[in-house]
Amino acid sequence: MDIFLQTLVAGILKGGLYGLIGIGMSLIMGVMGIINLAHGQLMMVAMYITFVLSHYVGIDPYLSLFITMPSLFLLGALIQKYTLNPLMEVDSILPENQVLMTVGIGMVLVETSRFIFTSDYKSVQTSYSDATFYLGEISFSVALVIAFFIAIGFTLFMFWFLLKTDIGRSIRATAQDKDAALLMGVDSKKITIITFGLGAALVGAAGTILMPIYYLFPDIGGPFTRKAFVITILGGLGSTVGAIFGGLTLGLAEAFGASYIGMAYDDMIGLIIFILVLLFLPGGFKRLTKI
Amino acid sequence: MKKSRILIGFLVALGLIFNFGISQSFAGDTIKVGIVLPLTGKLAKFGEIENKSFLMALEEINGSGGVNGKKIELIIEDTTGKPDVGRSAVEKLITQDKVVMLGGGYSSSVTWATIAVAQQNKIPFLVNTGSADKLTEQGWEYIFRLNPPVSEYPGAFASFLQAKAQDVKTVAILHENSLFGQSGSKKFVKRCEALGLEVVMKEGYEAGAIDFSPLLMKVKSKKTDLVYMISYIMDASLLMRQAKQLNLNPKLFVGGAAGFTLPEFEKNAGKASNFVYSATLWTPSVPYPGAKAYYDNYVAKYNGPTEYHGAEAYSAMYVIADTLKRAKSMGRDDIRNSLAKTNLITSFGPVKFISYGKKINQNKLPTFLVQWIDGKLETVWPEKVATKAFVYPTPKWSKR
Repeated sequence: MDIFLQTLVAGILKGGLYGLIGIGMSLIMGVMGIINLAHGQLMMVAMYITFVLSHYVGIDPYLSLFITMPSLFLLGALIQKYTLNPLMEVDSILPENQVLMTVGIGMVLVETSRFIFTSDYKSVQTSYSDATFYLGEISFSVALVIAFFIAIGFTLFMFWFLLKTDIGRSIRATAQDKDAALLMGVDSKKITIITFGLGAALVGAAGTILMPIYYLFPDIGGPFTRKAFVITILGGLGSTVGAIFGGLTLGLAEAFGASYIGMAYDDMIGLIIFILVLLFLPGGFKRLTKI
Repeated sequence: MKKSRILIGFLVALGLIFNFGISQSFAGDTIKVGIVLPLTGKLAKFGEIENKSFLMALEEINGSGGVNGKKIELIIEDTTGKPDVGRSAVEKLITQDKVVMLGGGYSSSVTWATIAVAQQNKIPFLVNTGSADKLTEQGWEYIFRLNPPVSEYPGAFASFLQAKAQDVKTVAILHENSLFGQSGSKKFVKRCEALGLEVVMKEGYEAGAIDFSPLLMKVKSKKTDLVYMISYIMDASLLMRQAKQLNLNPKLFVGGAAGFTLPEFEKNAGKASNFVYSATLWTPSVPYPGAKAYYDNYVAKYNGPTEYHGAEAYSAMYVIADTLKRAKSMGRDDIRNSLAKTNLITSFGPVKFISYGKKINQNKLPTFLVQWIDGKLETVWPEKVATKAFVYPTPKWSKR
């Protein structure tokens, strides 16, 4: 029973974080219709910013959210404005050259950080990195619990933002029908820039709150890009609620798989669910919630 | 159509420029030796320490006159820690750079892929780190191994258990899921059976996991005396940090070399690294000539500590130089025969390639047991090389 509960807790906590990683990619996919294959790499950049702030300036990782998120927003917006948007107008050999561009951007980010920080592993040690509290026999990692609540907070905020604000509505309009949105006077270029910025800022937040529990090296982004992709498909393109459910599903599946089947099959379990969703619920969880 | 033709033309041109650029820059009167190491990617940390050690030894050898008047030139290729990349790196070294022999090859999975190419092309390959047992069990006469295979890593640890920790009865084995971990864990199960220990749990995990708590909870519920882990560096750190969080208290934590002996382990695991044992193949206190000098020179030159991976690479370079010096010609068979006749004392230990069991061209060396005590890696077993007394049983987390 203890193992069951501990697994449940581990799965939910990790799932919340996965959700936050997934939302950004989901938004970008929904609005621009492209897979951002530099997603995990953007997260890596945020993690390095967090590391530098904590290691050289002494700023607590959670406080550095106020710096990493705006920086990542700016980075994302610049990437969209100067590298992705110009490609939309160019007649090209391949139709998906924006996706290819994100691959290139990802590589540039990785190699730039390797140039600056070398391949060394970095981690941020804080007083609460290894802190735990117990409810009965179940242990909770303090840092993971905080990360979970921050992730949920951002998700709810995004939900509200997309539903109630002007920019949010424009983003949803562009996602649903770009031409119609243009006719209604939505500046679609501006919207794509804001969306990419937001997506980058959100995954940046995820990277920052992951820093106290995990570690960092230039190649860390790849696996997270893959996870974000799975979450996005699970949740449905462009859906915040879908992303959080996708994240939780993946987190729980990995945790239960680890406990009852074997941790060696971590990735396999996630990908089997991915295939099942594609086969039986194309469109993801979004289809069930309609939001 | 036209555009794609231009693109292809451009790529071909780019390829040509690249190839010529590389092969021409290495002309001259040197002996070319190819080394493959993971210089980027997940295993880059190990690659870096080996790379620096290779270069340090090379500098010393070339500085004192090289080999029979010629200088050795190392062509170091990056495998990025992936078998397919390693394979093509070796193919490039053999066909383009025309190296006379090969060395390096970190991680068993990559080494396995690369030595197959070397054997096919009949180019001698001196493995210095890849440790899966099967590497030297194929009857491949061009493949030699300097380091002991992973099954022999826990040799010193086994004798420690028999001598000092007879109350250990049950074992949990956690291992990373590539060739190195799988091979090592299987052999460790056999060793446990031979020692009369009961293996109650053996499980693999995918390297790079965030949360090991499901795995560690299972270990906790089984209440084993010994937790044996075969991990690369960051998994090792996370495993120990999370074991501390979950209050997992076996009588001893033991790492099967690899990640557990690097300085980064202590840096990243922090206090959770204290009192963790690890098997190791080399420490600066081993009774071989030059071992301490290598350590001191490395620290002075690169301003950071080194450990057994570095010593392997450093000594491999000396074995390569010695082989080339004794070889009748730079033909592949002469070099192979010369390598087979190696009888050299290096700072990593005596090197002599023998056949035993299913293995051929295998160097046999004793192993050691180290323990992290207050932030320092101390040699604790065998007693005659110990730098500090071991701490057993490991104190409970709550009592530290």
